[in-house]
Amino acid sequence: MKTHFFLGLFSLCLCASLRAELKWDQTVLELHPGLGDKEAVGHFKYQNIGKTPVRFKSVRTSCGCTAAQSQTEEVPPGDKGEITATFKIGDRTGTQIKTVTVETDDASHATTVLTLKSVLPEMLALNPSFVFWTAGEEAKSKTIVAKAGKDFAAKNLTVTSSNPDFLIKVEPSDSAGQWKINVQPKQTARAMAAALTIRPDFPKDAPKMFYANASVTGAPVMPPPVAKAPVPK
Amino acid sequence: MALAFLPGIGQAIYFRDKVSWQSPVPASESVTAAQARAWGGDVLWVDARPDPEFASDHIPGAVPLNEDRWNELFPQFLGTWAQGKKVVVYCSSQSCNLSRDVAVRLRKQTQPAMQNVFVLEGGWEEWLKTRR
Repeated sequence: MKTHFFLGLFSLCLCASLRAELKWDQTVLELHPGLGDKEAVGHFKYQNIGKTPVRFKSVRTSCGCTAAQSQTEEVPPGDKGEITATFKIGDRTGTQIKTVTVETDDASHATTVLTLKSVLPEMLALNPSFVFWTAGEEAKSKTIVAKAGKDFAAKNLTVTSSNPDFLIKVEPSDSAGQWKINVQPKQTARAMAAALTIRPDFPKDAPKMFYANASVTGAPVMPPPVAKAPVPK
Repeated sequence: MALAFLPGIGQAIYFRDKVSWQSPVPASESVTAAQARAWGGDVLWVDARPDPEFASDHIPGAVPLNEDRWNELFPQFLGTWAQGKKVVVYCSSQSCNLSRDVAVRLRKQTQPAMQNVFVLEGGWEEWLKTRR
């Protein structure tokens, strides 16, 4: 009985000492891409601190906008490596959180979720970025507020319309780094649209462009009429 | 006891901005494929998946709108939108968050114009399953 107990204990200790284990330096990375950056790249570094190799079974991302890859399929004991996660910025804004799920044959930590937090620079926020009039509505001016973020030192804005039937007027707001873009259609009798191109004077060497839209839409889609229940006589 | 709460508090502070992949779409902002079909012609389908997936196949009549090329695609989307239309955004499956991101951005950037914006539950996968 005693022999069995010690054998069991020995096997347990042996298994524990021989197990594989990936130790991650960080499972959450915060990146701050620059103004003109097209992508943000995070390096999740690890080391196999166990006694047996670790094999990657899969590396999946939460979004089609993020690609992740491992340098190797198998990590021998003591070896170091990294998973590279590349987040495509595209036309995204604000803080973007994407995850990478790593599955290994390490029974104790089979799944690890790595988090890539990309804090995109605050540039020019347009609120709203779309103004519209319905057919026949009074052709009054509507306002888009443009507000520069703390990373965006623009002093002036130039706004052009792709359609001359929309009049554009830009006024600086009372607070610094803020403008009112007043948009007014010449008529609302027929449908028309315009793309507004907003050009700040920043960055000086390669000013970034922003876009808003204005349109006069057709008659609104009305909900189908609700059949009235007959009134009991 | 206080120590046990520390990791949770830390995470809450670190992710004080909304954690999109953990935040389910509120029921009022999501719609099933059957419900959306029942709306008939009042629906504007929006495909939030990356371009190659849209090019491969999509819901008939859907327009592409993803954040990779938002500035280019948004005006095209507006060309098909009409006031009162219900906008239903979808991505690949229930686990993807692209449709939610696009829906949130649509509501935020167009307010008060576009408030009838919904996310399709189960996304493209679910739509395929329930296709008649």
